[in-house]
Parts: sequence; structure tokens; C-alpha cells
Amino acid sequence: MILAHLRTFPTLFRISVASLVAYRAEMVIWILSTTLPLVMLALWNAVTADGPVAGFDQNGMTRYFVCTLIVRQLTGAWILWELNYDIRSGALSQKLLKPIHPLWYAALTMVGAMPFRMLVQTPLLLAVVLWRPEAWRTPSLAEVSLFVVSVALAWLLSYLSQAFFGSLAFFMDRSMGLWSVWFALWMLFSGYIAPLGVFPAWTATALKWSPFNALLGVPVQILGGFTTPHDAVPLVLAQLAWVVVAWVLVAFTWRRGLQSYGAVGA
Amino acid sequence: MKVPLALIRASLMVALQYRGDFAFELLTGVVRTFGRVMPLVLVYGHTTSISGWTADEAMLVMGFFLVMTAFHEGLMEPNLGEVVEAVRQGTLDLWLLKPADAQLFVSIRRVDPAYLWDVFAAFAVLGLATWRVGVPGPLDVIVAFLLLGCGLSAMYGLWLLAICTSFWFIRVDNLRFLLLSIADAGRWPVSVFSGWARVLFVAVVPVALVTTFPAEAMRGAWGWELVAVAFTVAAAFLVVSRLAWTRALASYTSASS
Repeated sequence: MILAHLRTFPTLFRISVASLVAYRAEMVIWILSTTLPLVMLALWNAVTADGPVAGFDQNGMTRYFVCTLIVRQLTGAWILWELNYDIRSGALSQKLLKPIHPLWYAALTMVGAMPFRMLVQTPLLLAVVLWRPEAWRTPSLAEVSLFVVSVALAWLLSYLSQAFFGSLAFFMDRSMGLWSVWFALWMLFSGYIAPLGVFPAWTATALKWSPFNALLGVPVQILGGFTTPHDAVPLVLAQLAWVVVAWVLVAFTWRRGLQSYGAVGA
Repeated sequence: MKVPLALIRASLMVALQYRGDFAFELLTGVVRTFGRVMPLVLVYGHTTSISGWTADEAMLVMGFFLVMTAFHEGLMEPNLGEVVEAVRQGTLDLWLLKPADAQLFVSIRRVDPAYLWDVFAAFAVLGLATWRVGVPGPLDVIVAFLLLGCGLSAMYGLWLLAICTSFWFIRVDNLRFLLLSIADAGRWPVSVFSGWARVLFVAVVPVALVTTFPAEAMRGAWGWELVAVAFTVAAAFLVVSRLAWTRALASYTSASS
């Protein structure tokens, strides 16, 4: 089944690119709206001006937030809003008629948008590197390969978690409110606003294995060299475990949801 | 004045009808506030002062930031956010027919009382921070709220401008998400940022007017030039956005009919 879906990928990729070209201004705006890592970089830069914090000096912080910016782009998904809208408006009915599962369809088009997202982000990244070239560090081959696996898992987890909260719209009106709670926790605990090392020791240990770290922190730590590949392997396995959990949850809510789906407007 | 009161009464009645939802919104509000204040605690766990701001003074900035988010999420987004969709579908017609100024009507048509929590939390944080920094003189407080008023007016103008673009372009309504993500930087004192970014936060996305300026006043570190800048920026945003709104309405052709 997976192979059959992957065969449709070239076509979906073309659709995705066509839609990006048609609505390029919209896309650029979306991509630029994830600039929070730069704000946090400015802040931590001011904090670490007097000396390193939890092992991070100014260069370390710069590298950390540049990696955060990259990973945030590579793990972007927007199935939540699509699904929420489609279920509430009844637009889902039409998508259910297609010979490809709506969740696969959306997933593959989002992967198709990835190269463009990186392209738009490149000037920003270059600017930061020029601003502080000392922060540059060339990752080893082992790190790069582990990073590729880790970031793929992080994207999948991000997509599945959005699909889960999105499909809650089948059952409840306030599913977006639940998402905002999840998002607030993600913001705080994923390493998006601060490296985990900055948190108090006991929280850092607990957060290390949390789904929030799996969503963002793990690939960032691997790419920036804040952990050795050897130490990172268990964390990547934890990511895999969270993906499995999320997959099962989505499969369950999707099946139950379709049974109760009222197809508004049909 | 009759129009705003009638609209607020209608919003309250809706909220009382859906009590379960209201309670749920309150709960998510608590988590949202927690999520916003925690980073401050985290950062100041490692330092006593950032760019000349102590933890308590930075909490003043955070308090004003919470006022802004409550204003934005409880009032602007539910109202102005819907204009975009109304323009696309042509339902704006119905609102234009109302016997009130269209700009006033689309700006305060609905007030979401669930955000009362956010207002409460904002003033709780402000109160705590003020008490810890040291109680300011009456003039400082008056100036602080004057500056806050200027800041909120400027942000409102910016939002209206972003909305107006939807009259001409179809898919730029996400412009306000971009602005929102930039405005998020306002939770930190603006002196944290370097020169060009400071200009951005004062004159382009005037979030510093809402957060840092009033906080400066509350800690007694304001000057009349601060007030002058705030008034100029606020007036500019209000006038330009009003002009843009009238121009936008004039070119509105109604999608449905």
C-alpha cells in the first residue's frame, strides 16, 4: 500500500510545485513567519554576552538557533488547519472520493513543498552565518546521515500530531483550543525557545524523552553537534517510538471519525 | 457609544449560552499565559540583567505584552480576521448595510469574553511586577497608560492595513500571521535587539510602543520625546489605515452578487 502511494509522488510533487508558483507570495509570507528562533537568538545572545550559560557561549547559541530555524522549516506541516476546515465545511467529502487517502495526499504534497521552503530560508541563514562566521561547524558524515533520519522522523511526528488534533474535529467543536494548549507546551519544551540544557536538571532529563524533544530538539542537537551520534541513537529510537504511537492514534481517530462524519453541505 | 455597548451585550449573551465552551476557553487561557511567562523565568534563571533590564522590569514588559495579546486575540482577530473571509465570500455586504460606521462595526462586532482571563492575567502580572519594581508616581502611571493607548492604536492601524490588502489580493490574509510572529518579539525589552531591528519594532510593527514604552514609564525612565514618538507613530497608523479602509471599501465589488 505504501509503495502504491509513493508511485503517485512525482505527480503530487508537480502539483505541489505548481501551487507554490501560483501562490508564491503567500508561501513566502508563511515561511517568513517562523522567525522566532532569530528573536530568541538575539535574546540569548544578550544573556551569554557576559559568559557561557549551561555550556553555551555566543557561538554555541548562534549555531543552536540557526539549526532550530532549519529544522523548523524542514518539519513544517499544515494539515491541522486543512483538516479542521475540510471536516467542518464538508469539503472533506470530495477528497474522500479521490483514489488516494486524503492524509497521504496532503503528506506527499507537503513533502513536495520542502525544497522551496529551504530555498526561501537560505538568505536568512546566510546572513546569520556572515554575521558570526565563528559559529560555523562542519558536521561529520555520521552526523549528517543521522540528522537526515532524525529530521524525517520529526517531520512525520509533526505531521501525525497535527493530523491527530485535526481529526478531533470529527468529534468536538473546540479541537483547535486543544491544539493551542499542545502548541503552547511544544513552544516551551521542544527546545524552540531555549536549548534543553538551559532548563533545570530534572526537567531537562524528563524533557529529553518527551514527544516535544522528538519534534524539534533531537535533530537540532545532532546537526549542531551538541550531542555525539553515539549518544543520539537512543533519542532517534525514541522519536521512532513516538511516531508509532502517533500513527496508531491517528489511524484510530480517523476510522472512528469517518463513521461519525456528517458531511456538512453534502 | 450606543453601538459598542449593544455589541458587547450581544457577545456576552452568546458566551453565556455556550457555558461549557467558555469554561474550556478559560482553561486553555491559563495554559497560554503559563507558556508566555515561563520563558522569562527560564532566561532570568541564568542572569540578573539583560541589556539593562532586571527580571522584575522585564516582567513589566511581559505584563504589557499580555495586555496586547488579550487585545489582539479577544478583539482584533475575531473581528478583523473575519473581514478577510467576508470579502472573499461577499458577506461583507450585510455588514455594510448596518446603520453604523463600517470600520467601527467590523472592528468591534464581536468581543470574545473568554479572553477576560487573559486581561485578568495581564493585569495580575503587571500588578506583581509594579509592586516588585517599586510603586511609580501617579504621573508615571498616567504616561504609561497613555503610551499603552498609543501603542494599541498603532497596532490596530497596522492590523486594519493588513486586512485592507485582502480587498485587492486574494491570498495574503496570512500577512497578519507574519506581523503577529514579528510582534511576538515585543515580549522582550526592545533594547535587547540591535539598531535596525529596534526601528522595525517602533515604526513598522510598532510593538515596542505597546510593551517597552509603557514599561519605561512605569519604571520612571521616560522622557517627553518618548511620548512624542508614540503619538506620532500612533497618529500616522490611524490616519493611513483609515484612508486605506475608505479606499478599499470604494473598490469593493462584492463577490457574491
